Amino acid sequence: MNAQNIRIRGVGAVSAAGWSAAAMQQAVRAGKPLPSAKCTRPGDDRTWPCETRLVPAVPPEKITRHPRLRRSSAITRYSVSAALEALADAGHNPAAPPRGLGILFVMMNGCVNYTGRFYHEVLQNPAQASPLIFPETVFNAPASHIASFLGIDGAVSTLVGSPNSIMEALDTAAFWISSGVVEECLVIAAEECDWLSAEALTYYHPKHIASEGAGALLLSATGDGMLMSEILGPMSYLSWSERGTLLAELAAETRVKFNGNATLIDDRSGIVRLDRAETAAWSGVSWNAVLSPKKVLGESMGAASALQLVLGTLAARETQQPVVISMPGTNTAAYACVLTP
Amino acid sequence: MPSPSRQRIAITGAGIVSPLGIGWQANEQSLAADRIAFRPVDLFDTSALIAKTAGVVDLPEETPFLRVPAHKQPFIDRGTQMLLIAIREALAQAGRHDMQGIDAMVIGTSAGAMPLGEAYFEKARHGTSRIPSQLSRAEYYQQQRQMTSIATEFDWRGPVVIVSNACASGANAIGWAADMIRSGRAKRVLAGGYDALARLVFAGFDSLHALAPSGIPRPFDAQRDGLALGEGAAVMLLEAEDVRRSDALGDVAGYSTATDLHHLTQPDPEGKAAIRTMTAACAQAGVSPDQIGYINSHGTGTPFNDVAEAAAIAAWAGDAVKHIPVSSTKSAMGHLLGGAGAVEAVICLMALQGQWLPASLNVREVDPAVHFDLVRQFRRASLQYALTNSFGFGGTNATLVMERRAA
Repeated sequence: MNAQNIRIRGVGAVSAAGWSAAAMQQAVRAGKPLPSAKCTRPGDDRTWPCETRLVPAVPPEKITRHPRLRRSSAITRYSVSAALEALADAGHNPAAPPRGLGILFVMMNGCVNYTGRFYHEVLQNPAQASPLIFPETVFNAPASHIASFLGIDGAVSTLVGSPNSIMEALDTAAFWISSGVVEECLVIAAEECDWLSAEALTYYHPKHIASEGAGALLLSATGDGMLMSEILGPMSYLSWSERGTLLAELAAETRVKFNGNATLIDDRSGIVRLDRAETAAWSGVSWNAVLSPKKVLGESMGAASALQLVLGTLAARETQQPVVISMPGTNTAAYACVLTP
Repeated sequence: MPSPSRQRIAITGAGIVSPLGIGWQANEQSLAADRIAFRPVDLFDTSALIAKTAGVVDLPEETPFLRVPAHKQPFIDRGTQMLLIAIREALAQAGRHDMQGIDAMVIGTSAGAMPLGEAYFEKARHGTSRIPSQLSRAEYYQQQRQMTSIATEFDWRGPVVIVSNACASGANAIGWAADMIRSGRAKRVLAGGYDALARLVFAGFDSLHALAPSGIPRPFDAQRDGLALGEGAAVMLLEAEDVRRSDALGDVAGYSTATDLHHLTQPDPEGKAAIRTMTAACAQAGVSPDQIGYINSHGTGTPFNDVAEAAAIAAWAGDAVKHIPVSSTKSAMGHLLGGAGAVEAVICLMALQGQWLPASLNVREVDPAVHFDLVRQFRRASLQYALTNSFGFGGTNATLVMERRAA
């Protein structure tokens, strides 16, 4: 992939732990699962348990004002906040973003709250369905709002897929930078939770706890920042059993180089059945530390890999040692990458 | 956006499914006959909506998915079926029976498997108990799962990139794939776009009063009153020149994308982003406006889009504008949303191959904003380069320039 030798100059995050990358890092390091709450649904209550860990209310200093953000979805607000934090972290003035900035946005489910609300209106009476809501249901609405907010009129694109699709976005961001399409690129992945997606997760496993948030990375070819020194993958699979085999291969490649001298940030959720292949893959390796953000934050779906990358960047900065990030994915491909100071 | 490289990307196969027909030949014949394809929508209830017609694809009765077990077939979206049919045609045209040797698949879609999401919502809303089949609806609502079903058909393992930039998705996917090859990240990429009609999306455009009440779109007509939706898919097999093993049908010569910040759903009246993408795509192709022999416009038939695009074409082309033939094939098949850019790119390829121009149909009185040569009937022509524009909600603009290969 192209993303090697690209530097992550700034990071930002919104998660169930709060409206900053530092808040997420603190919570994940503490290792204690954040409190969850029962997920409410419209109408009669469901007959099975369904819990969520949602992003807390926005603190006053994180409120952003812009005409495009008045009606925007939660996923957009999370993304704007994470993007501004990443710009500031890189030393830019968020109020005057650098010229030549591009955006690559990644999501899995998209603007689910407005989509559910609009479809409910369609089923009730389509003649009265709100024309203000419909445009907010489109997958690329968040990227469009962020572009408008930051005044970016160049390359802006949205990808839909598994959480680790962010690796394809990083690959393309690296190409955009190296070919002069953009000078720097914000790669953002985000998700918002609703009762439908929270329930959907419980069909995969009853112990799944849905979460939400956004992770933003500011990429550049120059300047200080963590280097994405290695990318393993995509290792594409067509079945869950193939996935297990590939994860073992992926871990074996990494083990040779980093045994005992790196931090691992994995994708494990704490649900044994779902974690089995990843646990087995990394089992013979010694690490300086292992961080499992999903065990603390919950399943952030499309934002999950981005939050791992944000956490990895912070860890590499602090330890000045390599960080290995494991992103096994769920139904298309596995990736791992190495961040080095 | 500066041009990364002037390298031509060979198109060695193409497949198309549209309301005008399934396959290259059926579409070519329909375009040559100036046929339109609108009819009442029977996929969902439109009785309370203003618009009730669309360009609907007649899918074959037998599923194209041979490896998906029977109990999973209901979860394969209509759009995914169209996409697989288009992929099979593109591979066959390139002399291939499978996807081995293809490095990646880049697919654009705006709504993806929305009907699966709609079904999940309706089941969830009406029940308080767990419904086992909801797992499959949740799983197959994810576009990447639908793409895995296609990969399974060919026992193919490779990266799949799903671009979702609303109505520019298909064009962006082709441009993305061409960039992958230009940068050396891939040698062969299947690229295209698709979207099937979905109730939520249809009602959404209806709520915006963007759909023509008559059901007949009239792009570039002075009295146009909206677009018609359609569905379909198109795919191209793109190959680096040093690896292609079959005759090329044409080349992707230029691509550019930019963002219009004017409004979430309405274009900048001057089409400034479109001017930039047309300029940059032509710069990458190394051609000037007077060399463009045909423009397949975005041309939705909405009042705002067509006047902005006409202004952009005039500003970009300058004195050459009156000699540039332009049409909107959405007048015949509707707006295919995430599939539009890919379908229209394949139509450009067909026009280059056949040396003809498809028409903008249903025009009664040409809008005064039109200064180009509006093609109102199918006609024969001599052309070396064709350009296609795609503009999406969110302000994504994309332009592709394609070049004819000498016979």
